[in-house]
Amino acid sequence: MDKEKVKQIVLDIIAEIAPDEDLTDVKPEIRLRDQLDLDSMDFLDIVMELRKKHGIEVPEAEYRQLESLDSSAEYLFPKFEAKAVA
Amino acid sequence: MPKARRKPEALDGQHFEVVVVGAGMAGLASALRLAMFGKSVLLLEKHYVVGGLNSFFARGGRKFDVGLHAVTNFPPKGSGKASPLIRLCRQLRIPFEELALSPQSFSRIAFPDVDLKFDNEFGFFISEVERLFPREQDRFQKLLRTMEAFDAYSPEVAGDVSARSILGEHLQEPLLIEILLCPTCYYGSAVENDIDFASFVMLFDAIFRQGLARPLDGIRRFLNPILKRYEELGGKRRMNLGVKHFVTKNDIVERIELDNGEIIFADHVISTCGVVETERMLSSASQDENADDVSRISILESIAVFKKQPADFGWEETIVFYNDADVFRYERPDELTDPRSGVICIPNNYRYPNGEQMAEGQLRVTCLANYEKWVALDENSYRSQKEICRKAMLEVALGYLPNGNSMAKELEERTELLDIFSPRTIKKFTGHLDGALYGSPRKSRNGSTRFGNLYLAGADQGYVGIVGAMLGGVAVANNRILRGD
Repeated sequence: MDKEKVKQIVLDIIAEIAPDEDLTDVKPEIRLRDQLDLDSMDFLDIVMELRKKHGIEVPEAEYRQLESLDSSAEYLFPKFEAKAVA
Repeated sequence: MPKARRKPEALDGQHFEVVVVGAGMAGLASALRLAMFGKSVLLLEKHYVVGGLNSFFARGGRKFDVGLHAVTNFPPKGSGKASPLIRLCRQLRIPFEELALSPQSFSRIAFPDVDLKFDNEFGFFISEVERLFPREQDRFQKLLRTMEAFDAYSPEVAGDVSARSILGEHLQEPLLIEILLCPTCYYGSAVENDIDFASFVMLFDAIFRQGLARPLDGIRRFLNPILKRYEELGGKRRMNLGVKHFVTKNDIVERIELDNGEIIFADHVISTCGVVETERMLSSASQDENADDVSRISILESIAVFKKQPADFGWEETIVFYNDADVFRYERPDELTDPRSGVICIPNNYRYPNGEQMAEGQLRVTCLANYEKWVALDENSYRSQKEICRKAMLEVALGYLPNGNSMAKELEERTELLDIFSPRTIKKFTGHLDGALYGSPRKSRNGSTRFGNLYLAGADQGYVGIVGAMLGGVAVANNRILRGD
């Protein structure tokens, strides 16, 4: 597991919940909301899919850590690592 | 938040994380959302079919939709997530294309001396308003800006602001106000002679700014993919089974007693039965509680099926909202039915793909009706009054279709089947007190009740239309159960 893989996991989830979005050119440093048509309902789906597919919990107060691919990778990477060790 | 915590596995088949009461549009949407994220969900429905007011039934080997005239909110091309219907599809993960929606031809609002046409191009509607009310042009534009700045879908929105008064502040021609109220009230107002401003904005956008559409095979096209997905995800459903009581203890629903005497348990309960109906299901409630909050709006709807395409009669419009006076009456009539105002729907006149068409012509006419008068009838008078009222309604309605009155005889000769449903039928399909079409005038937008684990969804959230009801169900599932879980 590395941070690039974490970004891909998040992108895969977005592709599933928003199949009509074009994800070919998503800039990792830019807020997802600013380049894709995502709202708070969609972010809830990203969080729910992380839990369902990967057993990763994101408390509501920390949803904003997922605002860009870079910030998601920074925030989620340690959680995936901890999961792998356990 | 206090919860009736019990391990779901502990009482197999009797304990669920969420029990959703009512398999109408809101109940189906919330149940699917919850099942999607692994919740153990039981969906209970008193009736034998799903859909609630937007259900379907069979007569003479044909399937009919109960309530569906049009799916509103049909998104203009490229409107993306700003469209409530696209947002709904994304939340339920049902591809928009799967709904197979076909747009309307055009529709009309007919008042004495004024006939306003509209289709799914918002610009055409505006040009019609400007053509008929040239002096209102600037004021109408200002009204549009007021509506654009208003977040009608906000969970915090006030549900008791009169649309009539806001329209009155913006516009000077009373007739234009009536013309704007007519279709919006008919498609979603629970109060008489007015509609709350949030619902007005939602419906105005749903009907005019977005548009009307329908799947060729009707509401089942909407219901089937939802049910299929729900069942694939392991969601449970029990039909012909209603709730007798919600038994409460310490500000939570502690258990649910079903009509057949069974007891079940739930961490969360979503009731789509309506605000007053739900209160009366509480073990402590009396049966006449909050009678003032029961809506006075109900309808009689007639359906004629005939051997000819409506276009061959010269009827090409999809929907006609009509009113025989300059003032729009939207109130419980003193008589059984008031035929002077109503809605015509011709489901053949959607633009179905590849020239496909419904095999037979269909003409639906809807007028307001008095629930109390209809329930007071004995079975014989009920049958005969349905026929008398149907004829009276049809006669007036035909006057609003091109050469309608001169086609009356041929229409009758070609009619293969007639059906009519009354406020009694609506009560049966929806369980709403007094056959209330759009729930109670008292709305609970965020779905909260005084019980920590009981939430309301559906018409009494004040989200209107099929798309609105489903988004309401999704919002309750998201905000009350999934978020912060």
